Parts: sequence; structure tokens; C-alpha cells
Amino acid sequence: MKKKLAFLLALCMALTVLPFGALADAAAVSGTMKVVATSESYMTLFDKFSAETGVKVELLSMSSGEVLAKLDAEGGSPAADLWFGGGIDAFMSAKEKGYLEQVEFDAAAELAPLYKDAENYWFSKGITIVGFIVNNGLLGELGIDAPRSWQDLLKPEYADEIVMSNPAVSGTNYAVVNCLLQQMGEEDGWAFFNALNENIAYYGRRGKDPMNAVISDEFAIGITYIDRGIDNLVNDHDVEIIYPSDGIPWVPEGVAAFANADNTAAAKAFIEWLYSNDENLALLAEIDGKDSVKAIKPAMEGVELGYDTGILMDVDLSLFGQQRADILAKFEPLMGEKAVAA
Amino acid sequence: MLRNGPGKRTEGQRGKHASPAALFQSIGDAGLPLLLYAAVLLFDVWPMACILFRSLRGEGGGIGLAAYAAVWDRYLGPLKNSVTTALATAALCTAISLACAIFLSTRKKRARAVLRALVLAALVSPPFVSSLAYIQLYGRRGWITYRLLGISRYPYGQSGVVWMQALSFAPVSILLLLEMIDRTDRSAVLAASDLGAPPTRVLTDVLLPSALPGIAASLLLCFIRSAADFSTPMIIGGRFSTLASEIYTQLIGYADLTKASAMNMFLLVPSVAAFFLYRRVLKEDRAPSARAAQASVPLPLARCGLPGLLALAGSALFFVMTALQYGCVFLLGFLKSTKGVYSFTLQNLERLFTYSGTILVRSVVYALLVAVFGSLFAVLFAYYTDRRSIPLRSFFSCSATIPYMIPGSCFGIGYILAFNHAPLKLTGTALIVIANMLFKQLPTTTKMCSSALTRVSPDLERAARDLGGGRLSVIRDVILPNMRGAYLNCFIYNFTSSMTTAGAILFLIDPGRQLAVFKLFDAVSSGEYPMAAMLATAITVIVLSVEGLAALLIRRPQEGT
Repeated sequence: MKKKLAFLLALCMALTVLPFGALADAAAVSGTMKVVATSESYMTLFDKFSAETGVKVELLSMSSGEVLAKLDAEGGSPAADLWFGGGIDAFMSAKEKGYLEQVEFDAAAELAPLYKDAENYWFSKGITIVGFIVNNGLLGELGIDAPRSWQDLLKPEYADEIVMSNPAVSGTNYAVVNCLLQQMGEEDGWAFFNALNENIAYYGRRGKDPMNAVISDEFAIGITYIDRGIDNLVNDHDVEIIYPSDGIPWVPEGVAAFANADNTAAAKAFIEWLYSNDENLALLAEIDGKDSVKAIKPAMEGVELGYDTGILMDVDLSLFGQQRADILAKFEPLMGEKAVAA
Repeated sequence: MLRNGPGKRTEGQRGKHASPAALFQSIGDAGLPLLLYAAVLLFDVWPMACILFRSLRGEGGGIGLAAYAAVWDRYLGPLKNSVTTALATAALCTAISLACAIFLSTRKKRARAVLRALVLAALVSPPFVSSLAYIQLYGRRGWITYRLLGISRYPYGQSGVVWMQALSFAPVSILLLLEMIDRTDRSAVLAASDLGAPPTRVLTDVLLPSALPGIAASLLLCFIRSAADFSTPMIIGGRFSTLASEIYTQLIGYADLTKASAMNMFLLVPSVAAFFLYRRVLKEDRAPSARAAQASVPLPLARCGLPGLLALAGSALFFVMTALQYGCVFLLGFLKSTKGVYSFTLQNLERLFTYSGTILVRSVVYALLVAVFGSLFAVLFAYYTDRRSIPLRSFFSCSATIPYMIPGSCFGIGYILAFNHAPLKLTGTALIVIANMLFKQLPTTTKMCSSALTRVSPDLERAARDLGGGRLSVIRDVILPNMRGAYLNCFIYNFTSSMTTAGAILFLIDPGRQLAVFKLFDAVSSGEYPMAAMLATAITVIVLSVEGLAALLIRRPQEGT
């Protein structure tokens, strides 16, 4: 009896393993893939991946700077397999520190070289562009006009009304700092941020914090990324989106597989899956509410870039990673000085 | 089973003829405390040692005070903010709590039970709720400040932090002070009245002095908690920052563990000092408690002059503000704002199930694990350190108290430092999260068990031994059954804390191990208020239902006897 049972059990196990084994040969992935992403809304994209490959996905929303800091703190061993979204600066630093895995696949050749690592350690899933969101009600109450340019933000009437995120945590706001420094030059650039600091109400953590502070009528001006979702906020809230007239900072949003992760294979498979099929990219564009993925894979069909990349500031992307540590080290005491005086 | 043992056997005899069963008993009895000791060493002492060593790491890698000097230079402002906030919070919270405690103690039986239940419910609320409600109620477009009173007020800054901390720390202080007042002999109050003392004098000369130790304890407790609290300043401080909130920023933005460790040492010193003061205060108070069947204090507060009116006003303030907070948070989860006009929505509830269903389940599972094993650990630890004269017991029971004294961030960073590399690599596992919660709560649960143990007579233990019961059998057949009530209390405490405290584990969360409190913190600090409100409501409902279930379980056997 016992033998029979054991045999049956073995048979069952063999039967369940078989089809998975066959699948594994095709995709070479299984198990659970842990993802750190900038938003939970990507779950629909990952659901599609799960449905097609059988890999379960768990997602944690985290800013790029936070991901990098956590990696540093935990001795470089990643807690996740895939890193999805966030300023490219953090991905560049992570590559330097050896945290990322090289991912080679055919479709990589079709991606625009500007938006991916030359050695395929990181790729981009879109481009973040940055502008302002302003609260008309609060501006009206204060009797002031909305700022139209970065220089406008320095006007004294905006004191304590501007919310920005900490560039060490938010890739979006790091892009603002790096792009403006590149455009204005070191000296003028730092003078600008010192002056801007006087008007900042507080530095949030995530890139989305300033937007939330403005739509909940707490602050008049937020420095925010802009996508269709932000554009649509004007329907539900008394806010306006402003594209600064003196230049739009931008940053590619990275995608990478972590080296030495529990399931690096799944992360690599995901990256290949995403870029090899335009349908997947189109779904991503839909979730993101922007079509910048067209710039990343120019051959892609079905999506048109809504704007001319000419409106973006002319910056050297490679400096994003190189200068990261220096810029943040300089920015940190700058933010603090006012807090200490308060 | 014990009854079968022949009464003739004595200690000596048992030692000579060690049967395999007896051998097992004595090995187990030696092994158990060793295991407990090892766990305390690993999860309490080692992480703290790591923080100390790391903070002393000099710039070149040697030993030095460079990190301390840097922190002193750079963070003197936040340090001062921490101290002033902690002092103000302690004073305000204790004043409010004292008012409530006096008010409660003078209520009749039923009213008192209802009010006490309200305070208990406020105790289990998830963190950050007060900050969330603060912005909704008293912010620039606050329901009260703007919609009701038409004031557009800038809510960020120190005063908001102090108010919200005071309000959220109050339930613990109220219960503490209420217990103190309950210990006062009611006849002293009656005697004073009979001798012609006016109600005001009875209040100030009889009731207040009896609450003095409680007042001191509440002041110290609030001071420690305020200094360690990083979430309130982060959410409603605006540019105002304290050392605790700066530590958080340092860690998530820069991963500067050396600096964060040194910053934590600055927080640690006042907290540990306050803790020892607190212990002394409580120790001096050894008044026999005649708590059973205490009637309410017969004192008409309305006729107690200014002090009486203050007590009434203070408690009205607490109950009204707390009720507003909960009402606001509950409502907010079901509201949608379109250009300032609210409408009802189930959108957040749907989002809760789509995005947070598994997370809530995981939180409950972790909390249950901590509750089951943490409570067992506490019972055994209390038994071995209180009852048995095993070596080094005072060192270990003191070590186990460490997490109680130190800020949550400190305990979290200690865990990162201790367990982020081989051979003790635990970061990214469920174990580190569960261990962190378990050991953070152990000081309180051990204390609960110790006080329950005092009610288990040592004679009972000796009797069982004389009847031939082995050491382990004594634990199983005498100690554990008698500790059933304490175990359940620990269980409830562990479960509630695991579901609602976020201090240390915020630093240890990974994808795949997200917990509801973490998610709540994220939502509140990012300004996603409606979602945060929904999560807070869900957590409160879960905790209250588990507590209700546990309370039913406790009550049943008592009804039987």
C-alpha cells in the first residue's frame, strides 16, 4: 500500500514537472520575479508577462535613488530581480558599482544608442520630461501669477510655495539639477539652486510628491514630471501644467536586471520580452501615458511621439552618472541650511 | 500525569539514576535557556554593537570620532528641534492625558467603560493616521480650517508636529495615569470631603499627588517616543526637521550608514537616560494596589474650580479631536475630490483589493507568526530569567530591554548593519522582518509575562518537582497552563504592534515582503491621502476583529469555571 502511494506520488510529481520543464526550455524562466518600479500601475504590463511565461511578479514601488541607497546599505546584494523605471543616473552609478547584469538580445540593436548603455547593462523604457504644476486656487488667493520659466521660480512671492523632491531620492529631480547645471554652467547653476532653495517649502521624497502636494491644495507650485496622466489632472483639479519657457529638463527612465539576484534569468527574459514585441511596448506607453518609447525604439509602429525632441534641453547624458555623487554631495548641505535655520 | 509520580523521590535520587527521559529533560532544560540567550545575543546585542562600532569608524577606516564631529557640526539644528519638540510634546501630551484620566476616573461605571474602550481603540490605530487627518482637517483646504472657518492656514511646522505627536501618544499615557489614580484609596477622597475640603482641594491635594509617579512616567515616555518619531515631522513638518527625520532621509537617499549610526547615537543617549529615569520613577512607586472593585472617584469636576474645568476642557479636546480624526480618515477613503467638490467612490476600496490584497494577507501572516512565537519566547524568557537562577540572567534580561529604549530607526539600522553580509546574511528575507518585530516587542511582552508569573506560586513548581516532574514537564504542565492569560495578552499585543508599528521595519522592507504599514507610510508621505485613509481603515478593522476574537477566546474558559 505504502509503495503504491509513493509510486503514485512520484508519478504526480513527474506529471506536474513535465509541462513546466517543457515551458522552461522555451523561456528558461520560472518562479517569482521581484520588481522595484517607480509605480504600481505597471502591474498590468507584468500581468501580461506572467500570463505568457508563468513567472509570478511581485512589485514594490521605490524611487531610483532609494533603490541605489538600499543596495549600498545592504552590501550590494539586490533584494529584487528587475529594476523598472527611475532616473538613468542611478542606473549608471549602479553599473559602475557592478550591481547590474549584462543583457544581450537581438532587439537591442534596434534601440536608439542614446537611450541605452553601450554594453547593454541598462536600457530605457521612456523619457521623463519635467515642468511645473500650479494650483490656480492658491495662486489666486495669494494674488500672484504662475511661474513660466525656471528663472521665474526665484521671485520672492513664491517663497515657501514651491515643492521639489530630494534629488538624491528622486531621479526626476536629479535630472532637473543636472540639466540646469549643464545649461547654466557650474557657477550660475549653483547660484540658481541656492536662490531657489529660499523658496522651496520642503523637499519631498518621490518624484510624485510635489504633484500630490499641489493637487491636494497644499502648495501652489510643484516641480513635476509631465505625462498624459499629469495633463489630465486639469480635468479633476484646479491646476495648470506649465512647460518652462527656458528649457525642459529630461531624463531617460532605466530598465535593468540586477546581478546576483535570486531570479536574474527572469529579469533578463522580461527585458527581452518587452523590447522584442511592439505590442508590449505599446501597452507600456499606454500605462505611462506618454509615447516617448517611440524615441527609444524608432522602428516601432503604432505609437507616435507627441512632441519634437527639440524642446528638450541640450545636455550630455553621460554626465548624469559621472557627476551624480559630486552633485548630490553639494546639494545635500544646501537643502539643510534652511532647515537648520528654521 | 504528575499525580502518578511517587512522592518518595528526591532530588538526589533523580540525579543518580538518570533514565533516558530524565536525561532528555535536563538537556532540554539546559538547552532552552541557551537558545533564548543565543537569540537575544544575535538579535538584540549584536545589532547594537554594530551601530556602535560603525559610528566609531574613522575616515581612513580606523577608529575615530569623525562621524560624531560631522553630525554635531551639520545637525545641531535638527538636534535642537528634536529636543524642543520632545519637551513640548511630553508636556502637552501629559497635560491632555492627565485631564482625560481625571475625567475618566470620575465617571460612573458604564460611561467609564465606554470611554475607556474608546481610548483602547485609539491605541490600536495605525501610525501616521494623525498626520493624515491633520492635513485633511486643519490644512490649507482643511475641512475645519477652510471649509468650516474659512481660514487658509499653512499647517506645516513644529506646532503641528507637537500637537499630532501629543494626540497620538496620549492613549498610552491616559491608561497609565488612570491606573495610578485608580490606586488611590477612595476613602481618602471621601474622608477629605467629609472633613470639609472643597472639591477643588480634593482634586489638587488628594487626587493629583497620587498621579505624580504616573505623570513623571508619562513625561519620560512621551519624550522618548517623540525623539524617535521620524514620520510625523516628515509628513507634516515641511522644512522643519528633527534628528529622527534626518536619519531617515540620510538612509534612504545616501546610504551613509556611518553617519546614520553616529546620528542614532545622539538620539540614543537621551533616550536611554530617560528610560533609566523612568524605571526609577516606577520602582519607587510600590504602593499596594487595591484595584479590585474600585468605584468611581466621587468628585464633581464642574465644581472643582479652574483645575476641574481644565480637566473637562482637556478631555473634551482629546475625545473630540480623536473622534474627528477617525471620522475623517474613515470618510476620506470613500471620497473623491473633483475640483474641490467631494463625491462618494468605491474606487479606493477596489484599489485596495487589487494592489494591496496580498500585502494585507502577508501582514496578517507575519503578525500572527510574531504573535505565536514572540509570546512563547516571552513566557519562556520570563520564566528562566525570573524564576531560575541561571547565570548571567540580569545581563540578558537587560539586553532584551534594549529595543524598548532605543528609537525604531536605530534598531532598524542595527539590523541592516548586522545582517547585510555573510555569514549572517538575512537582509531580503522574511526572517529579518519577523525577528525585528519580535525583538522590538519582546521587552513589553516579557514584562507582561513577568508580572503574570508573580501570581504563579513557586510552591506549585516545587510540588511538581517533588512529585517527580522533570524540569521541562514543570514548564509544560505548571508554567504554561498558568500563563495562558498572559500568553493571550502577549499575543494581542504582538499582533497589534506588528500590524501598526512601522519604525524599524521601514528600513528592512523588500519587494516580495511588503507590509501594510509600509504601504501606508508610503501613501501618506507621498500625499496619496485617500488611498492611505483606506489602508488605515483596513488595518484598524483587521486589528480590532482579531482582538475581538482573542478576547472571546479568553473569556470562554472563565465562564466555564
